[in-house]
Amino acid sequence: MLSLRGLFSRREGRVEERRDVETVSVTRRTIVLSAILGAASLPLVLVYVLLVLTSFSKDVVTGVELLQGRGVEWTLANWAALLSGQLSTILPGTVTVNIYSAILNTLLIAFGVMVVVVVASTLAGYAFSRMRFPGRRGLMQFIILLHAFPGVALLIGVYMVYLWLLNAFFARAPGLRDAYVIAYTILARASLEIPMSIWLMKGFFDKIPWEVEWSALVDGASRLRVWWEILLPQVKPGIAALAIFSFLAGWEDFVYVYVFTYLGTGGRMFTLATLIEQLVSRIETAELPLAAAAGVLYLLPTLIFFILTQRLLLEAYAGGVKG
Amino acid sequence: MVRVRLERVSKRFGRVVALKEVTLEFEDGSFSALLGPSGSGKTTLLYLIAGIYKPSTGRIYFDDRDVTMLPPNKRNVGLVFQNYALYPHMTVYENIAFPLRLRKLPKRVIDEKVREVAKMLHIDSLLDRYPSQLSGGQQQRVAMARALVKEPDVLLLDEPLSNLDALLRVKIRAELKRLQRDIGITTIYVTHDQSEALALADKIVVIDSGVVQQVGTPEEVYNNPRNLFVAGFIGSPPANLLTGRVEKGSGCAIVAGQRVCPDLPISALLELLEEVIVAFRPEHARLDEAPGGAGMVSFEGEVYAVETLGRENIVTLMVDSVPVKVITPPDMMPREGSRMFIVVPVSKLKFFDPKTELNLEYLAGEHGETTGMQQRG
Amino acid sequence: MRLRIRPELLVFLAPAFTLIIVFFVAPLILSFYVSFTHLESWDLRDMRLWTAENRTLLYNYYRLFYMLTHDPDMQKVVLTTIAFTFITLVLNVLGGLGLALAAYLIEERLSTLFRSLWLLPRLTPVAVYALLWYYFFLGGPQGTLNALLMALGVIRKPVDWGFASPPLGPWAVIIYVNALVGVSFGMIIFYSALKSVPWEHVIAARVDGASTLQVVRYILIPSLRWHIMFVTVWQLLSLLTTYAHIFLLVDWGLVDRWWSTTWSLYVFMKAFYTGAGETTDQGLAAAAATILVAIGAALGLITLRLMRFHEAMTEPRGEV
Repeated sequence: MLSLRGLFSRREGRVEERRDVETVSVTRRTIVLSAILGAASLPLVLVYVLLVLTSFSKDVVTGVELLQGRGVEWTLANWAALLSGQLSTILPGTVTVNIYSAILNTLLIAFGVMVVVVVASTLAGYAFSRMRFPGRRGLMQFIILLHAFPGVALLIGVYMVYLWLLNAFFARAPGLRDAYVIAYTILARASLEIPMSIWLMKGFFDKIPWEVEWSALVDGASRLRVWWEILLPQVKPGIAALAIFSFLAGWEDFVYVYVFTYLGTGGRMFTLATLIEQLVSRIETAELPLAAAAGVLYLLPTLIFFILTQRLLLEAYAGGVKG
Repeated sequence: MVRVRLERVSKRFGRVVALKEVTLEFEDGSFSALLGPSGSGKTTLLYLIAGIYKPSTGRIYFDDRDVTMLPPNKRNVGLVFQNYALYPHMTVYENIAFPLRLRKLPKRVIDEKVREVAKMLHIDSLLDRYPSQLSGGQQQRVAMARALVKEPDVLLLDEPLSNLDALLRVKIRAELKRLQRDIGITTIYVTHDQSEALALADKIVVIDSGVVQQVGTPEEVYNNPRNLFVAGFIGSPPANLLTGRVEKGSGCAIVAGQRVCPDLPISALLELLEEVIVAFRPEHARLDEAPGGAGMVSFEGEVYAVETLGRENIVTLMVDSVPVKVITPPDMMPREGSRMFIVVPVSKLKFFDPKTELNLEYLAGEHGETTGMQQRG
Repeated sequence: MRLRIRPELLVFLAPAFTLIIVFFVAPLILSFYVSFTHLESWDLRDMRLWTAENRTLLYNYYRLFYMLTHDPDMQKVVLTTIAFTFITLVLNVLGGLGLALAAYLIEERLSTLFRSLWLLPRLTPVAVYALLWYYFFLGGPQGTLNALLMALGVIRKPVDWGFASPPLGPWAVIIYVNALVGVSFGMIIFYSALKSVPWEHVIAARVDGASTLQVVRYILIPSLRWHIMFVTVWQLLSLLTTYAHIFLLVDWGLVDRWWSTTWSLYVFMKAFYTGAGETTDQGLAAAAATILVAIGAALGLITLRLMRFHEAMTEPRGEV
């Protein structure tokens, strides 16, 4: 496999992009438009910055204190409490949660969704791109239509299946039970991504010339082998993009972890998302900085991924939708 | 109608030099051709005049106005692109009307002018169609109409006929020339087809690798090529080139075993060289079974191929393993392998210095230096 | 055409299709079934069709209809859904267009910066994103907006934004929060389309005399017609079915309960939410959901047609 760096670094000597005549100054309109964009972006930037600041402060940081020179009471107490599982800095020991278990659950779900989505859609995407089977067209239309369905309508039925399976098989095996909850959450969440992911992977497979496979098939290789050894390596950027997006989808999800890992276990299991939900809905305002710390913690992987793969994300996102 | 002047214009794209120190002048109302092979920089030059590119160095003037930094929308030029660049989402009428609409002219005036131009170019019946519904020739006329409707000071054409089939090309060529005469607009025409340039232009600028090779009338460029490139590029088929050794002291050179003795001042210049390249045009030579007489030089060669073109034949002979082409009357069809003489009047020979590739006549100052002539390469 | 399904094909399609059947098809049917039942507390053993309780099968639907005509809270939900969907839609499409055009017209590096920034909300975890705006619109003096406006002297007392001048306050909050996420979709699609506009058309327009504004109006935007239509329909669909961020804001008490509930949120909370004195009723929720599905299906079909599906879908080459 290519190294991550090799996958994401820009090729040398890009072709000069031409958008307009050279005699019109881009600078002037850049200044004007950037000013407008900057103004519109201000609240957005502000809220993120304040979140980070608040996590290191005793009270909620609104920015006004800094502007008025009043200064902020900085503290690490929020982080200390959070990372030790105490959900209160004022009354430590009153509410505790296994923060590391929450992090682990979130990670597991994110990875799980990523794996399931990538596997299922690279397999199916190949079939839709290359194989002839009855109802191929109809099936693809059906898939797109499914994506258009309101998730909330599905949720009721999905939860029903969840409950039924839980009671039927896992009620008496507590150890297996947790694994079931996580697994079900992963599968349910991943399914949401499947329709579009198949479409995306199909698009990537479509771009590979047929000749590449023909010789392998003529030599007697099975479809599966062709897929694994010849095609997959050529769609690595596509897989990488899909992996990132599905990981993020799993990481940032709220509804499914709320319904299945939280409600479904009677509030026993936590993920970072449901932890934050509980932090804010239950504890008084004074603990908002603690919630901010939880928020920053939860946001960290997103930010890291984001910075590292900025350009790739922007282009891959567009590429997939163009189909 | 303006006079276009370029002063020491260079254009660089990153590390690639597309144009090098070009100084040119285009007279008001003239029809000039920028002639050169692909990648010679001729389209770059056109785009610089249009204001699409900004020169890396140098200045551009329309009459006395310095337009170097002006964007195209302030230069009042008309440009016909090689692939027409018609707006696909607008009808023919709207395409042509577009420049006038941008100037916020009243509707009535726009309508009048659009129809006038459309009529002039014989596309008035196509006004409601979309570009995708038109043939290549029709699209080309629409592009012309769009360029002309705003009565530009300069008309720029980027290989406008190259996407058309041969028959159509010849037909439209004549119409173009007539059109330009009627309107009297300063026109600059980019092409790689030398016959097109010769047919259409009052003045030809031969350009290669970003450097102007020669500027002159079609007659000058044809009969007095300034350097080897021009000699080899103009004419169909192009001039024959033979290398010879200078015979010191005699003012003559030995070329393919023949003694060639030009008149003064060429003979004097020959003394300065060791070797010389001799060129002559296929139509100035004739084929004979016997060598020619006084004032002629006869090269012996073996017939390699005969191409019959109906009106004439082109016979290729090998002279010391160098191919030489001669144009003969249609009934002359020598056998392959037969030995014949290529007879050329000495006065029709051109002599070139192999090192500088320049025509010795130019070194002797036989032809006036016009602006824009620089060393090759 | 051979009807025999080759085993190899099964391997490729099995994982995806198993998931689709288990998590799409089956639930859809189940939800539909539930809409005819008296299921209230997820007690599956106690789930009976209404007909077994001497009521018509469509009892849930009748209840819904009754609530729509008599219950002011339900009417608020409908109004909110309409207002939220259409206003956010306009903002998303126009905002996306504006962002894409601006990003297209400015220098590359700044352009990338801004586009990345506006993509951030979409990639931020839902709970964190809601938290960001929770702090911002908090009703007390420590709410960021309140603090800023008070410091600037625009207001004297903190405003409880999520409850101010209902429905305007709640609507403004949920629309703004969602719009900031939504614009990125249009932005990406439009920007990508803009980059595909042939350079010749832009420079031809320049030669014809167009200023930058005229290039945008006559050349760039017309090339986006199809994309605008697509984004509009797709976003309309998304907006009808999006509720996660709003749920959190309602759950955390930032906004008025009924003036912030869209139809999909209503379904969600009716099916699952047991906080703040609310009771669940899955049957009712499923009925409401079914109505939503009908609308979603209609819009999905429109989208398919718009995507000129048949042209996009090319037949695979080779007879294998």
